[in-house]
Amino acid sequence: MERFIADLVRSFESGKIDRRQFCEAVALATTIFAAGSAAQAAPARGLKMLAVNHVSYACSDYRIARDWYAKVFNTKIYNDKGMGRANLEFGGPEPGKGGSFIITRNFGNNEKTARAVVDHICYTVANWDDTRVNNALKAAGTNPTGRKGSVNVYDPNGYQVQIASIDGENPFI
Amino acid sequence: MYGFAATKLNEFEQGKISRRQLIETITLAATTVGAAGSAGAAPAQVGVTAAGINHVSYNCPNFKQAADWYSKVFNLDQVGLKDNEVTLPFGKKGEQPYNVTAKDVPLTFIIMRTRDLNAPPANGAAPRPKATNVVNHMAYTVADFDSTRVQAELKSLGVENIRAAGANAIHMTDPFGYDVEICGLANSAITDGA
Repeated sequence: MERFIADLVRSFESGKIDRRQFCEAVALATTIFAAGSAAQAAPARGLKMLAVNHVSYACSDYRIARDWYAKVFNTKIYNDKGMGRANLEFGGPEPGKGGSFIITRNFGNNEKTARAVVDHICYTVANWDDTRVNNALKAAGTNPTGRKGSVNVYDPNGYQVQIASIDGENPFI
Repeated sequence: MYGFAATKLNEFEQGKISRRQLIETITLAATTVGAAGSAGAAPAQVGVTAAGINHVSYNCPNFKQAADWYSKVFNLDQVGLKDNEVTLPFGKKGEQPYNVTAKDVPLTFIIMRTRDLNAPPANGAAPRPKATNVVNHMAYTVADFDSTRVQAELKSLGVENIRAAGANAIHMTDPFGYDVEICGLANSAITDGA
């Protein structure tokens, strides 16, 4: 990074780039640096887990689930072509940089064969404040219950949705 | 960052800082700005803004068998072992979630459980309703995704029912018949199903 910045300063001093280009290049380099290089860090055996990519959520009417998750989580909606599915992107990392999304979709043919079930998903909210989170969820039409740092609501299909802070749900606490 | 760079450039041009100081301060700022936290993650008034997935609760007849399989395939440690559950974080203690800069977002984790979902809650809470949906598969992003390499790796680990799904994804079946998808970073809300 230091060499890159030094080259930029040299280019600025020699008139190859102007002030705006200098500042834009620094800002862009910062963003790229923050993206990290974990994608290059695959282990010798097995795979290196980076993140949840997506949750595939099947139900009788994907539009009802789509609208509920979009409202409760303020998500962006992608690829809804009226063909029985839509993608809802969460906050956090951008798409393609480790960000997660839910696919709400209509039932297919292979939903009931496993002997395991994902019985709920929990989502992290940063800058947690119990009162603010509870009020925001109530304003979205849900009935949150829970404890300090963690609340549960049920979506229109009766599926448990947990929302927690870093202290409410943390693998190391 | 744009504003900071402009300020420092002004100081350099006015002789307040040296060329070396200009390079060092911008380098330092550019490499640490990611740790500054995310003020943009504050929840909205209606609904909340999720900074990411906190955990996945996976329930099956033998949680330890499931945990061992996921640990093997995804190189995950197991922490917090109890009689009927164990936790698999996506990294080591103290690490940040991938590409998340806010400091109050924990590593994502899977909780492997064996429990009766129809049992009444022990804390007197309302019973869990019967869900009419199903999460029919989970997809996980892995580092350095290459379909051919990943398929070969999975075969060497004894994984069953491996199916490529385009260039950016592979499906497989875990020991309990659950569909697990593995994706590269390129698979996103924008590209999937486009």
